[in-house]
Amino acid sequence: MAKSRLSGKCLPESAAGSRIAQASMEYLLVVALTFAIMVPAAYLFYNYSKESGQEITDAQATKIGRNIVDTSETIFYSGKGSKTVIELNVPDNIVAAQIIDGREFVLNISTIFGVSELVFFSAVNMTTDSSKCNINRCAIPGLGDAGLKKVKIEAIDKNSVNISAV
Amino acid sequence: MKIKSQAALEFLTTYAWAFIVITITIGALYYFGILDFSKYLPQKCIFPSQLKCLDFSLLPSEVRLKLVNNLGEDIQIQSISITNDATIPISCTANATPISWIHATQKDFAFRTCTGGAYLPKERVELTVSMDYFAVNTPSKPIHKINGKINGKVTT
Repeated sequence: MAKSRLSGKCLPESAAGSRIAQASMEYLLVVALTFAIMVPAAYLFYNYSKESGQEITDAQATKIGRNIVDTSETIFYSGKGSKTVIELNVPDNIVAAQIIDGREFVLNISTIFGVSELVFFSAVNMTTDSSKCNINRCAIPGLGDAGLKKVKIEAIDKNSVNISAV
Repeated sequence: MKIKSQAALEFLTTYAWAFIVITITIGALYYFGILDFSKYLPQKCIFPSQLKCLDFSLLPSEVRLKLVNNLGEDIQIQSISITNDATIPISCTANATPISWIHATQKDFAFRTCTGGAYLPKERVELTVSMDYFAVNTPSKPIHKINGKINGKVTT
């Protein structure tokens, strides 16, 4: 006679072994069932969050672009000498920012399917420090890194607004 | 000592067999596509909101897309292409370019006679669409690139 580990009662060897085997089997089934639910669920949620993350980055970049262009237009029409500083939370998917031809504010965003350019068109002439310009393209390096950024927008003359990260 | 080592060896032998059986079972499930959970993902077309994807269809040998121009500017598409990550990527005949596109309007794009890229009926595919365009009213007409993704099942 052996003492069963489960009940503490004295049972024949075969009965005690059978109960332990049943407990082990039940344990394995519970673990297997848990894995069978957890693994597909984790995969589906991971993929869903990856695609949602893409949409969030797009929304953040669009908000930044529209904010800069709208503020530039407001400052321009406020007259020469007007200026403001806006705070922007740049997501890490934005890899570069530039102004082209004074009317296109371009944000390069890195996505799971390559780098895309988000273009925002301004009704007023935008510019930045001339040292960062190459022909008709002016880079704004400060906006190419993630984090909280301060952007100064100033109506430097009657024809244009200057945009720079401070 | 000898009994202990025998017990240990028996334990290892038993569980090694169990491990091999489980590995083969999982391998077989994977081979027959039972573990391919991507087929349970929703079918989606993801483009930046400036050229938002409204609808798409994956017909046998043809991919169709409906996009809307939310840029606020008239643009001209210089090139449009479709590809995927397959060893031999998908190859399709796109719309003839250049394509003029007025702001706030929708446009249908069709990629016909698609071959390769494991683009087969009933199969789940992930396609990347690339587009080059410029704004008509910008003097130097700089080319901009935009990418989008289609994830869906090819109809029969």
